[in-house]
Amino acid sequence: MLNFAPTEEQEEIRNLAHSVASEQLRPRARDAEKRGDIAPELMQTLAQTGLTTPFPEAFGGSGAIEAISCTLIAEELGFGDGGLALNVIGSLMGPLAVALAGNESQQQRYIPPFCDERQGYLQRGSFAFAERTGGYTLAEINTTIQWRGEHGFINGTKRSVIHGTGSNPSVVLARQEGTAGAEGLCAVIVPAELEGMSIKRDALKLGLSAAPSASFVFENAAVPGTQVLGKPGNSGVIRAATLYQILRAAVACGMARAALEYAKDYAKDRYAFGRPIASYQGIAFMIAEMAMKLDAARLLVWKAAQSWDKGDECADYTREAESAQYQAIKIAKSATIDAIQVLGGAGFLQDHPAEMWARDAAEME
Amino acid sequence: MIDFTLSKSQQAAREYAHQVALEEMRPISLQCDQTEEIPEAFFWNMQKRFWAGAAGQARQQAEREDEKQGNVLSVISQEEMAWGDAALSTAIPGPGLAAPPILSQGTPEQQMRFLGPYMDGKLHWGALALTEPGIGSDVAGMSTTAVLDGDEWVINGHKHYITNGARADLVVTFATIDKSLGREGIRPFVVPKGTPGFNVGRIEQKMGLRASQTAELIFENCRLPKENLLSGREQSKKAGFKAAMGTLDATRPMVGALAVGIARAAYEATCEWIQEELPEGYPAQKRREIEAELEEIGQELEMARFLVWRAAWMLDRRTPNSKEASMCKAYAGGLIMKATAAAVRITAPGENSERRLLIHKWFRDAKVFDIFEGTAQIQRLVIARRLFPEVDIP
Repeated sequence: MLNFAPTEEQEEIRNLAHSVASEQLRPRARDAEKRGDIAPELMQTLAQTGLTTPFPEAFGGSGAIEAISCTLIAEELGFGDGGLALNVIGSLMGPLAVALAGNESQQQRYIPPFCDERQGYLQRGSFAFAERTGGYTLAEINTTIQWRGEHGFINGTKRSVIHGTGSNPSVVLARQEGTAGAEGLCAVIVPAELEGMSIKRDALKLGLSAAPSASFVFENAAVPGTQVLGKPGNSGVIRAATLYQILRAAVACGMARAALEYAKDYAKDRYAFGRPIASYQGIAFMIAEMAMKLDAARLLVWKAAQSWDKGDECADYTREAESAQYQAIKIAKSATIDAIQVLGGAGFLQDHPAEMWARDAAEME
Repeated sequence: MIDFTLSKSQQAAREYAHQVALEEMRPISLQCDQTEEIPEAFFWNMQKRFWAGAAGQARQQAEREDEKQGNVLSVISQEEMAWGDAALSTAIPGPGLAAPPILSQGTPEQQMRFLGPYMDGKLHWGALALTEPGIGSDVAGMSTTAVLDGDEWVINGHKHYITNGARADLVVTFATIDKSLGREGIRPFVVPKGTPGFNVGRIEQKMGLRASQTAELIFENCRLPKENLLSGREQSKKAGFKAAMGTLDATRPMVGALAVGIARAAYEATCEWIQEELPEGYPAQKRREIEAELEEIGQELEMARFLVWRAAWMLDRRTPNSKEASMCKAYAGGLIMKATAAAVRITAPGENSERRLLIHKWFRDAKVFDIFEGTAQIQRLVIARRLFPEVDIP
């Protein structure tokens, strides 16, 4: 039965995430951008909330992943700061992929360190999705893995891998040679150093500087079969990849909402010709448009998250997740650019976060 | 809990309406559009289908389910029927747009008196008269007047763009009891057909929705019993204006649903055209481009539908939904233009098949969805005023 209200429990989680986002992430966003990473103490604070351990309780987590709740959290974190939100989510996707697609011994090995009460916040994972030849859709994954005996040989590139350096597990999406679309997708854990694999840290990024990233090149890099998460082509890999798309979409909604709220507040207080600029339809309609499109995109994201939770036909939720991701990033890009416009000259200055948000949204592609 | 799955009764309402659209509407759609007339048999079929049988059952089933969901069921059905033919769906017998103000502002006695007759198994319609030649969304400038003379209200004025105005058994007519009060002087009156002084003027010829009857109504010293003023629920001064605006909060999701239905019809027909009628030698690169364009329209259709569902769902829960109702109407109004224009452009190289004639009809039908129940600009004004409650946006 149709329902558009989160449960009470989800509302509580969302409120918690909202206060963390506005009290912790937002004020530290510029600092993180300059530093190029999240400050360890901030990560520690986040870890203490339990929001960053969506793993089964058996591994010490706060409960197995549930896409709707995580979508709500991700939007709030994105509202705080898109770069920091993706820093956290990009890291979590490593162990989450293991939780969704890995076998028990892989889960035992890689997940508990993230749940460690004292040191867990220092752990970083990574999830290599996009490539030099495309963006964040399953069809664009062209990195191949070819089996010869006990070893798989990886060929291809990966780009914009958040925490691509120094992460464990470092999970790489590839496809069995000769497959297309969602079929034959594999997730492989690669070690920090591997013959035939070169990693280069991304520098001079346009945006999302608070989420350090790297690019990979694989030339016949050999990994033992035991490094593959679960069986090749298992649905857990598709679920992990799709979850990343959904969470990226949710972060994008948060970025758009941040821009909307900021522009709204500014338009209320800024006067021109004796009236708040919000009272002029040229400004008011722009903001109304942002709000409308954001609501539309958010509903699409929620729909994808619900299908993911229900575990419907994976063809459905992959299509939905990719639509949601596309539409959410679209509104994040337009809302952040429009926020600068509402602020006028002030929007172009680093005194306000709008210019950073517009660069961050553009970097989501 | 966030849930996008339809319940059994919601699914049943959708399937039933789709069947009606497919069997009763699509076959006569082009003919009715060309002749601007609807065969009598259609009215009787609709009367049977909607006031008895499976639809009645779906309604009862819905009532058994915990929450009230009349508006959600309604938007789900409206989308399907507009997919069939939006003009015909506006002509389905029943109180139509007269129902929301009677239900929200009428006393129980008035509800029985005015809505009871619709259950008698005969053909009846209702209409809502708000718009005048001089005013649309700016209802404060209304010039139709109502003056109390003894035990009777005397109505004078002109209304136009009134859907089903000439065939309605009763028209809920908004008039001002005191122009100096502005919008607070507005009251809703129920004017039965045949009341002396109440006459139908011209029937409009339109760009689209041609089978839908759009009438001009003229009130010249039209005398009504005192009891035909709808003022049961609220005695406050704002009651009349609230009734007018409350009607819009309820009808905007419906109009949004109709727009989604037409947009979907155009989108589906275009996809089918590519599959079945694409001319030989059509460039592969161009095909990829139009398919990408359609994919995006498909996503926007889904977003529009969710916005409509949400606004109707809020209404069922009696949550204030002005902003959300305007959002869904504005979004769907924009989308229907995009989808039908794309359909016309993409299928332009083809022969004039029945599919293309329907696409042309939908393009003509579409434009008014960006206009009635508040233009695209008015919707943005409503949204902005809700976003900025403390700012006066003139």
